[in-house]
Amino acid sequence: MDPTTVMYVSQGLQGLAYGMILFLIASGLNIIFGMMGILNMAHAAFFMLGAYICYQIVAMTGNFWLGFLFAPIVTAALGVLVQQLFLRKAHLLGNFGELILTMGIASVIVAAIKKFWGTQNLPLSMPDSLNGMVSVVGISYPAYRLFVIGLALVVLVLMMLLLYRTRLGKIVRAAVSDREMVNALGININLVFMFVFGGGIWLAGLAGVAIAPILTVFPGLADQVGMDAFIVVVTGGFGSLVGAFIVSIIFGLLSSYGVQFLSNFAPVLMVCFMAIVLVIRPNGLFGVKE
Amino acid sequence: MNMINKKANIVLWLVLIVFLAFFPKLFGIYYTNMVVTFAIFSVFATSLNMLMGYTGLLSFGHAMFFGFGGYGTALALKHIEGIGIFPAIGFGMLAAVALALVLTPIMVRVTGTAFAMLNMAFGQLMYVLALKLYTITGGEDGIANFPIPGIFTESLRNSPEHFYYLAMMILGLCMWLMWFFTKTPFGQIQVGIRDNAKRIDYMGHKVSQSKAVIYILSAAFAGVAGSFYGLFHNMISADGSLGMGMSFTPIIMIMIGGIGSFLGPMTGVAIFQLVDELILRYTESTELVMGVILILVVMFLPMGFMGLFSMLKFKWKARSTGNAKMEKAS
Repeated sequence: MDPTTVMYVSQGLQGLAYGMILFLIASGLNIIFGMMGILNMAHAAFFMLGAYICYQIVAMTGNFWLGFLFAPIVTAALGVLVQQLFLRKAHLLGNFGELILTMGIASVIVAAIKKFWGTQNLPLSMPDSLNGMVSVVGISYPAYRLFVIGLALVVLVLMMLLLYRTRLGKIVRAAVSDREMVNALGININLVFMFVFGGGIWLAGLAGVAIAPILTVFPGLADQVGMDAFIVVVTGGFGSLVGAFIVSIIFGLLSSYGVQFLSNFAPVLMVCFMAIVLVIRPNGLFGVKE
Repeated sequence: MNMINKKANIVLWLVLIVFLAFFPKLFGIYYTNMVVTFAIFSVFATSLNMLMGYTGLLSFGHAMFFGFGGYGTALALKHIEGIGIFPAIGFGMLAAVALALVLTPIMVRVTGTAFAMLNMAFGQLMYVLALKLYTITGGEDGIANFPIPGIFTESLRNSPEHFYYLAMMILGLCMWLMWFFTKTPFGQIQVGIRDNAKRIDYMGHKVSQSKAVIYILSAAFAGVAGSFYGLFHNMISADGSLGMGMSFTPIIMIMIGGIGSFLGPMTGVAIFQLVDELILRYTESTELVMGVILILVVMFLPMGFMGLFSMLKFKWKARSTGNAKMEKAS
């Protein structure tokens, strides 16, 4: 293959990996936003917290996989705690209340992170088994990024199965469309929403763990990807996992090719894309009309 | 009773005006500048509250109008020889209105999250444009040290006291106009759109057109606030006026002060400034204090501090009327 094609393809793979990380964050945000109707501004902060907890576990045990397994669970537990203590009450006040509350929670989390871990970049080394290059169609490519792409695909499939093929998924979807009726049928709605919120935050934590070895861990992590994930959810359509997946890939490719061809306007390519989509379809690409 | 109230009102206003007139003499330049900042952000937050509190439209990109106001005034003062201060402020307002006029056809079609995010999208676009079109906007450095003419002859650049009086007059006028607007029938229709847009539509009022008018008005006032922000610092930059933080700050101010009441945003700005001042003196973690305040407000003061005031007032009134009834009975 000639060098230009190689460059384009590897650029595309780079974008794909970023898109997959966006999808991991956005999918969690999407189930919280799309199903519970909460504009969760703290999502990116939980994502960052996941990365930090993973760093801590790896620093103490020296094993990446322990961090990979337990950091998202710890993050999800903290998320559920926050939901039970604060968000349950704020839900009665409508969207503005939740928006401000989650903003407050986000800034408390960021402050706590700065207090415990400081503001410097903390490196997190990849596990040895993924620390090499793999040859894909004649192009050598970091194995870890391939692992991230695979992880996102597994998450997508598992979530689709969970939501559309199990009883639990049915209950969750029913609870979204008519909360009171499901409650009247004798299903503990609070438990269902606790599960949904916990699951969403678990995904945020997982995304944090996945991105940590690539970008290192630092307090600006949340700003960098938080808004992008939000844009993905809005563009893809609330509650649509497929929409979030497709838009994540588009955004990943836009960001990697955008830097190459339109470097002046790379930062706004995503918002421009979102603006065009929202003008034509206010509910997002795959959103259902309310 | 009514007559006494009216007289008391007039006296209160006179006291306030006299107090503000002598403020620079009494408290010195540091606190005077703080009042100017307070006035600028009060107009900015109140203009957003016209959208958020009165019409129910949350915007994540109100800073673009603020920034356009600032850039409009700065560019006019820099490039037009001998322009007066009032036309320069007018230029800022017109710039914001022009932007709003371009965006309204899109904005009236959407509500809710789509409205918030579309505003954010265009806000970010303007931010990046301001950074990249450096031949016009000065890029990252922004526009600084532009001449500021006085009302008569002397330049306002070196006399913060005169600037204070000008700012107070214009910004006070803006606040009065916005207050007046909410009392008009048209202002009441906005509240109706917030609560039930369909019903307002059935009643024969034009929902989209009213939304367009309020959007443009809100942009105009935000533009004036931004214009004064630029004049006050004698500098306008993309990070200082068009950034994402500038869009979220007034939302937080409104929520702290109390959404939906006219004085809410002003109260929020005052509390915001007070907290900022105290934080700078006693602690370093602004984020922690701000975060805790936001959580406490949502948990315990859902209608903000103005909600707390009106609740206390209600309780006090209920007690005093209760006492009066008791007296009558005995």
